[in-house]
Amino acid sequence: MIILRIENLNVFYGDFQAIRNVSLEIPQGSVVSLIGANGAGKSTLLKAVSGLQKPAAGKITYSGADITGLSPDKIVAAGISMVPEGGRVFPRLTVLENLLVGSYTPKARKKRNTLLEKVYELFPRLAERSRQLANSLSGGERQMLAIGRALMSDPRLILFDEISLGLAPRVIKDIYQRIKEINRTGTTIVLVEQDVKRSLKASEKSYVLLEGKVVLAGRSKELSEEEVRKAYFGL
Amino acid sequence: MLQSVINGILLGGLYAVIGIGMSMIFGIMRLTNLAHGDLMILVSYLAAVTISLFGLPPLLTLVLVIPLMFFVGFVIQSSLLNRVLGKGMEPPLLVTFGLSIILQNALLIVFTPDAKTLTNPLATKYFALGGNLTVPVIYLLDFLMGLAVIIALSQFFQRTYLGRAIRAASDDEGAAQLMGISTKRIYSYAMGIAMVTAAVAGVLVGMTFTFYPYTGTQYLIIAFGVVVIGGLGNMIGTLVAGMILGLAQLLGAYFFGAGFQLLFGYVVLLVVLAVRPQGIFAR
Amino acid sequence: MGALLLALLTMPLWAAQYLVLVFMLVFLYLTIAQMWNLLAGYAGLVSLGTQIFIGLGGYTLAVLTEYYGFPVWLGVLFGGVVAVLFALVISVPIFRMRGVYFTIATWIVAEALLVFFSNWAYVRQGMGFFIRAAYKLTTDQLYYAALFLGLGAVVLVYVLLRTKLGLGLMAMRDEETAAETAGVEIFRSKLACFLISSFVVGLTGGVFYLSQVFIQPYAAFGINWTIAVVFMVIIGGIGTIEGPVIGAVIYVILQQYLSEYVGMSLLILGAVAILVILASPAGIMGTVQKKFGFALLSPRRE
Repeated sequence: MIILRIENLNVFYGDFQAIRNVSLEIPQGSVVSLIGANGAGKSTLLKAVSGLQKPAAGKITYSGADITGLSPDKIVAAGISMVPEGGRVFPRLTVLENLLVGSYTPKARKKRNTLLEKVYELFPRLAERSRQLANSLSGGERQMLAIGRALMSDPRLILFDEISLGLAPRVIKDIYQRIKEINRTGTTIVLVEQDVKRSLKASEKSYVLLEGKVVLAGRSKELSEEEVRKAYFGL
Repeated sequence: MLQSVINGILLGGLYAVIGIGMSMIFGIMRLTNLAHGDLMILVSYLAAVTISLFGLPPLLTLVLVIPLMFFVGFVIQSSLLNRVLGKGMEPPLLVTFGLSIILQNALLIVFTPDAKTLTNPLATKYFALGGNLTVPVIYLLDFLMGLAVIIALSQFFQRTYLGRAIRAASDDEGAAQLMGISTKRIYSYAMGIAMVTAAVAGVLVGMTFTFYPYTGTQYLIIAFGVVVIGGLGNMIGTLVAGMILGLAQLLGAYFFGAGFQLLFGYVVLLVVLAVRPQGIFAR
Repeated sequence: MGALLLALLTMPLWAAQYLVLVFMLVFLYLTIAQMWNLLAGYAGLVSLGTQIFIGLGGYTLAVLTEYYGFPVWLGVLFGGVVAVLFALVISVPIFRMRGVYFTIATWIVAEALLVFFSNWAYVRQGMGFFIRAAYKLTTDQLYYAALFLGLGAVVLVYVLLRTKLGLGLMAMRDEETAAETAGVEIFRSKLACFLISSFVVGLTGGVFYLSQVFIQPYAAFGINWTIAVVFMVIIGGIGTIEGPVIGAVIYVILQQYLSEYVGMSLLILGAVAILVILASPAGIMGTVQKKFGFALLSPRRE
């Protein structure tokens, strides 16, 4: 079953077209990666899905419902959550407050205690620091908090934007381990990455973007690193 | 002089309530509401009308003006200000300036330029402290109400979903949207709450001083002073800032005559602005 | 253009005195609108303190002519000088403030002056002055003084924007990042604009109070001056030279018709200004420029 379907999507920033006729399908329960260089349009694609950027044309369907152009709060309520690039935790709120803000939608608010328990189980470090201000956390901890906060809305689909940017390799490995665990509970995952090797390893399906277009797609196992690199650089 | 110090400190509580709504709005959406003082004076007039219609004691008018002003704030934000936010500095500033002009002149047309006050028995009562010193009951009430508003507001920001969402939106608007927070609606609620504080301030000012259609400007500057001196989202800073301004005014009046009371508040504010534009209590 | 200029120059010869007086007002308001536009529209300095310099200009004139027997026009000139000196003094603190802080500081200075002047015995507190030296001036003399200021202001801004200073300011408005690198130069340009506009507004205050013959602090340092300039520039079109001209004509006409209803006219001004900001923030001239690519005087900002 396809949980998210994007058909012929076009997104502009002013006169600049960031996404050109992109179509893709995310199967329910899978991990899918979007690979591409800086400026290839990966982040814009995620923004269009999460409602932060309005597409000019095309259709986004989630669980069979058309969600094109809906506002971000409606999209979160529908069950799509995003971990933005750099985490963007709320620096002047405590760890616990950050997580509670994550469960802002009415549906999530009712389940907030169970959700909180799950997040603390996944990231025990956050439980230890729950009373600390978010801006006192280390880079890795902030990323954990951002993921935890996204989980607090009880999503069925999570979009991760450049999750490993600026983190130490050991931390990245740890975070990918957690993402795998999140996926195991049935949550669908979309990863946006620049690191080709890691993306292929972590996902079942991959799309390579270049200059706003999908230039390569396939099952991650069947794609060779060489082939993906070529598509990535447009060679 | 000690009497001026007592009065100045007590008055600081009232000034803190006058400023806290503006401080909130400035902190949350970087909006300077130039109509804040006039909206407050609008409340003073509304309270006067309520009193003459229903014969309520002044403090009880809060039951009516608080919900009314929440609604007014919500509507102003959603119908006017949300449309100009994020379009640079001038448009929001000029829209609120326009609002200020409209309010002042509407008050002038409806209520005439005559001075008004919310007559109440407290205004003339004193506690004697001995040695000629007294505590005016109305100033004490101002101080206690100010403290109550500040405590209530900080509890609201700490403990409620809406309060946390407002703080989240002021930290990072985009990230807040990703949490399912409709930031525009949050801003409307925030303005509603700021107007609730203005409602309390308006009634207290009306009970403590005389007011005219144009007095809003005077209180706008006090509110701005509280924002600048107290720093944003800093509740204790806000209270201390109110006291500093209250003291500056009353000591100015003590040394140079009543006519200079306002001038001293302004001068202190200008000095602070020049020396520490980021505010004394800014983090 | 030439015919219009000729008509304006000869106006007292053929027009009724009422019309001459109305045009005198148009020129005075156009001058201060042009100066506010120079600050807000080009230098990025939104001031709510036009009345500071109107009041100082007017009071300098009043004091010098009443107490020291100065000739009126010298009094007007000194009004401009006092205004620019005061601007220089307050620029030290207020140019340390940015954006909104600058804006509010100008308003606070104006309010402080209002309170100070209404308590200052030397200027007869709130009672005000009759400027008796102005009694013998004719309408024509006042008209030509106003015309000189109005045309002067337009020419001044026109020339200023074509100098290095003006071009730098416009580059700053259009591309903030590029301008950040030239911080000191931008600071100087802004300060220059602030001083120039203070001087011209000071002169305008002098001429205005020559025509009024009576000055008192609540009017001279009142916020109504700022309301007027904001209205004129917003309606006419901020950041254009033609805008303040159009705005001044509209403002003075409205003022003539609405002068009987004191509060109502200001209320309408406020409401119209808000509507324009919401519906068409470029004002009349900005909208015309965008639609027809027509610009008589304004350098293109794109």
